[in-house]
Amino acid sequence: MREVAIIGVGIHKFGRFGDEKTGYEMGRDAVIDALKDAGIEWKLIQAGYSGSVVGRFGDAIVQDLGLTGIPVMNVSNACATSGSAVTLGYQAVAAGFYDVVLAFGYEKMPRGFIAIADPGASGMRLLWFGTIGLLVNPLYFAMKIRRHMEEYGTTEDQLVKVSVKSHKNGSLNPNAMYQKALTYEEIAESRMVCDPIRLYELCAPNEGGAAVVICSMDVARRYTANPVRIAASVFKTRLYGTAEVPHIYRSATIKAPTPVMEAAKEAYESAGIGPEDLDVAEVQDTHSGDEIMHCEEVGLCPPGEGGRLLDEGATEIGGRIPVNTGGGLISCGEALGASGLRQIHEIVLQLRGDAGPRQVKDAKVGLTQVYGAPGVSSVIILKR
Amino acid sequence: MSKKQVPVQEGLFTWGVEEPQLIGSKCTRCGEVTFPEQQICPNCCTQTMERLLLGRMGKLYSFTIQRHQPPPPYRGPDPFIPYGVGEVELPEGVIITSVLTEDDPEAFKIGMEMELVIERFFEDEEGNEVVCYKFKPVSE
Repeated sequence: MREVAIIGVGIHKFGRFGDEKTGYEMGRDAVIDALKDAGIEWKLIQAGYSGSVVGRFGDAIVQDLGLTGIPVMNVSNACATSGSAVTLGYQAVAAGFYDVVLAFGYEKMPRGFIAIADPGASGMRLLWFGTIGLLVNPLYFAMKIRRHMEEYGTTEDQLVKVSVKSHKNGSLNPNAMYQKALTYEEIAESRMVCDPIRLYELCAPNEGGAAVVICSMDVARRYTANPVRIAASVFKTRLYGTAEVPHIYRSATIKAPTPVMEAAKEAYESAGIGPEDLDVAEVQDTHSGDEIMHCEEVGLCPPGEGGRLLDEGATEIGGRIPVNTGGGLISCGEALGASGLRQIHEIVLQLRGDAGPRQVKDAKVGLTQVYGAPGVSSVIILKR
Repeated sequence: MSKKQVPVQEGLFTWGVEEPQLIGSKCTRCGEVTFPEQQICPNCCTQTMERLLLGRMGKLYSFTIQRHQPPPPYRGPDPFIPYGVGEVELPEGVIITSVLTEDDPEAFKIGMEMELVIERFFEDEEGNEVVCYKFKPVSE
């Protein structure tokens, strides 16, 4: 296996853009941004991996950037879609199939809560489950954090505090959807959506694009003196004995590690490091409780201590292990196909020292983690 | 005249009996239980499942209140009425996701006794009352 690097990152601001721009166009603009950042010509890109859940024609990129005949494959794995696109690109370069590839993602989500699965389009026999009101977000997240609160004493106060931190970081990120710090009271008094989750503790499905140029380390050195290495890129589905979004039932006798835990475990093994070696992390904060639980699941602290990690200030910029320095999904919103690539964009800026007011001092190793229905996760470790 | 009642889907629960039960399946190899019934054991990955009727009483494992109208294919009352959703652990070693009969978070406590009931959810195009399972707190 060859060493693999990222030499360029690009982003289209996350938000809502109405008729001004299509989802695909945001992906395309992020690609142009990434090529420029890498200082590489489109003609040298040998393959593309396009992630989108709603739009599925990322290969149209060749029409806009040049008909070079390269393969551009469309991938879709719900909220973990970016992880699929990047992992495929990483594997292809590591295996030596290609030297330079592109992974990009985009989305244009309608307003409102995401229907977890379209029973018709998915081909799964879930129509009955949807008709009775059990195929909707964020109720599975709500039940998971409620149980976490019962078992470990995580509090509603901590859920509010995660969101305070996210919005503070988001106010420093020009690509975030919400760039305004919110007070504790504003969040704590926002509408209850799915007990115990409040409106301002949730991410908004939205629009945006992001892209990365991935290449072999040999090629990378021709373009930059400081390439960011992809030390691991892992994608997992679920094991028997977990409870995912959604689940009709779960085992009460077997409790398996979540797909997030499994992806993180393999990523650390592959990278030859442990969570204690990380300087910065971006985790999937579909809601603020998810940040707490995913910090635990990727090993930033022992199970049940995510709330304490937050209370100690460890996850703040300037803390022991800053989490979601770009404002997370809570401030950026979630443009599904681009969301994990936005996390990578943030970590690459951090590792290069280009994160401006959000900069984590001397960050050398970072992690990104996404989670999606029906129990998929990707964990990526980046090093400089 | 009372309307005809039909289950939301065949095969989910026993119907037309005094005490309806959920229809699951149990692996003859590892003993794990699924709901609904299925042919392949998700744990052993083998076709070793046999039908098992699940108990009607369980314990509340977790819960929330659904406070906004879900997108289609949801078919609830218009205007929308919030409802409780929970996970209920049954003695067979399976935890079932279910709509709950109450919509007040104060009505629930993790660990409390819950009982299976069959209730109306919506009316279909032919005017039938479509019914499905819910769990209800057992009053002390």
